[in-house]
Amino acid sequence: MNILVVNAGSSSIKYQLFNMDEEKSLAKGMVSRIGMSGAIVTHKPFDRKEVKVSGEILDHIVAIGYVISILLSTNHGVIKDKSEINAVGHRVVHGGERFTQSILIDADVLSEIRNLIDIAPLHNPHNVRGIQACQKTLPGIPQVAVFDTAFHHQMPPMAYIYGIPYVMYKDYGIRRYGFHGTSHYYVSHRAAEMLGKPIDKLKIVTCHLGNGASIAAVKDGVSIDTSMGFTPLEGLLMGTRSGDIDPAIPLWIMGREELSLNEANTLLNKHSGLMGISGVSSDMRDIIDASGKGNTNANLALDIYCYRLKKYIGSYAAAMGGLDAVVFTAGVGENSSVVRQMTCDGLEFLGVELNQAKNQEAIGKEMIISSDNAKIKVLAIPTNEELVIARDTKEIVDKIGQK
Amino acid sequence: MPANRIIIIGAGVMGQGLAEAIAATGTDVILLDRTMELARYGVERIDDSLDHAIARWALTQSDKKAILSRITPRDDMEIVKEAAMVIEAIPEDLEMKSELLKKLDSLCPEETIFVTNTATISISELANATNRPDRVIGMHFLNPVPKIPLVEVVRGLKTSNATYEKAREFADLLGKTPILVYEYPGYVTTRIIVPLLNEAMHVLMEGVSSADDIDTAMKLGYGFNVGPLALADMMGLDVVMSWMENLLQELSEHKYNPCPLLRKMVRAGHLGVKTGEGFFKYDKEGNRIPYDKTTTETWRVKE
Repeated sequence: MNILVVNAGSSSIKYQLFNMDEEKSLAKGMVSRIGMSGAIVTHKPFDRKEVKVSGEILDHIVAIGYVISILLSTNHGVIKDKSEINAVGHRVVHGGERFTQSILIDADVLSEIRNLIDIAPLHNPHNVRGIQACQKTLPGIPQVAVFDTAFHHQMPPMAYIYGIPYVMYKDYGIRRYGFHGTSHYYVSHRAAEMLGKPIDKLKIVTCHLGNGASIAAVKDGVSIDTSMGFTPLEGLLMGTRSGDIDPAIPLWIMGREELSLNEANTLLNKHSGLMGISGVSSDMRDIIDASGKGNTNANLALDIYCYRLKKYIGSYAAAMGGLDAVVFTAGVGENSSVVRQMTCDGLEFLGVELNQAKNQEAIGKEMIISSDNAKIKVLAIPTNEELVIARDTKEIVDKIGQK
Repeated sequence: MPANRIIIIGAGVMGQGLAEAIAATGTDVILLDRTMELARYGVERIDDSLDHAIARWALTQSDKKAILSRITPRDDMEIVKEAAMVIEAIPEDLEMKSELLKKLDSLCPEETIFVTNTATISISELANATNRPDRVIGMHFLNPVPKIPLVEVVRGLKTSNATYEKAREFADLLGKTPILVYEYPGYVTTRIIVPLLNEAMHVLMEGVSSADDIDTAMKLGYGFNVGPLALADMMGLDVVMSWMENLLQELSEHKYNPCPLLRKMVRAGHLGVKTGEGFFKYDKEGNRIPYDKTTTETWRVKE
């Protein structure tokens, strides 16, 4: 069974085709600049060189058409006929309270996902567009939605209700939802496998550190708390997002600088974080580089980033009543030994102890990087959200087949 | 040819604002004027406007780059042959606009829709200059276009439903709320705001209150974002006066008679923000210069 995994953004679509009989990636790529002049398709078949094609791609429908035709093409293709795509799995950012697990998309499901645009205006509209494009281009082929929020749905109310009037939760669904669930799910399970212990006997903190960053407390295989909240703005310091902040600050600035909602929103989401503090870059590699060259604000940004991570690890250890493993994943987590080192420094009292050499070595690979006799294991694990989406899709499609 | 190509004619203030607002939605747009110099100048002004938005935290440098990359300055009229929609934003002059529409009519494919951005001129009359009066519609955007969330969609006598739907879709794309207006002098916004501005000038002229206090009264008392006199300065006093005269001529009602103080200031060349002086004073960037309270008991007498 071949499954196409689609992650649709505002002007881009990432895709990956899996042969799920062998859990093997056949090809992956990305369409960028959709709707702009000079759209680009980057395509990498598993056994051949990467190719780049540019063209006029007006919308998501045309983009999906492009993806299908490149998967079929004689030179760069990996399948011979459209019918070899047996199902499509979509990453959908927000599942609200309605979707607690992956689901086969029908008209009702699609309209519910659309209804969630109200609380996820930045992501769900594009996800919907991606789904509609695939429905048009691959009619009759089952489509499955896999939600970023789903893994966090078992959080207890004390972790997801905010200290504001309860009616805000009842009327508008304002609560902590959490994001990056697919990634937290994958790396926590992978960590259990690597440690050779059952996941339902482990207390794991997973740190997903990409452009957006979040951290989750995974107790006995269940996410019981996570740092992102009602939106992906809360929690850790990120590339351009503020993370946790005194909620009075945006109100004060809006009053002082007479900012509109949109301006304040952009201030917190795009002008803040590593970029806002350092003035250098939103990319951790540039921050570490500048910090090494004596840029004090870059150094400060790096300190804040790791300090906040450390505080969250401590608080989640307290929330779970113990800690067995810390996992680092996504761009920064998989590659930055500096961030891992600085975050773990000072957590010796808990039983965290890095093996320096292994920490240095773990760049983009799956490794246990704590010292052999450390009480708490530290792991670096490259995430693989696409594989989880493909697996969920396969499972759901298999079930329909049996009916 | 891209099926949805949008071309703006006239790279002045309205054309710039429209191009910026369209490009900000991720749509490519062509900004056309008589010379490359004018068209490029328009893009430079958009560049400034985007810098201003960055200073207000509304955009990032990479947003700015992306927006600018979608705006192409041109000076060759032939390009309209590829347009799905042409928006004219040239000066508010019936003859010039009719002339332009006539020319566009001869160049553009049959299905191209003409949008005219006018505050006062009759859509029906402009439409009559073409052989496609059903595909001519007015869209009255307010300045600054990227910031004002309203557009008056103005139907002429012969504008078709299909054209009106296209205009609504375009308003949606821009994130503007459309209100439907049947052609009539001044539409809704101009018709109501202009006499209000004129009345504020009368109140000032009659020495009832100072310019600052009049604006404060309307801001705090009735929730105006900008006071009427500051608003008149922003619109341009000559523009306000021409609107009054236009309404007076079309509707022959005394209430549209421009206030003598307005006439006097226009004659003196005090046109508001753009000349640095109107009811208030402004620096080169158009920022208001706070004036000395002690000298402003009543309407300022020229020293």
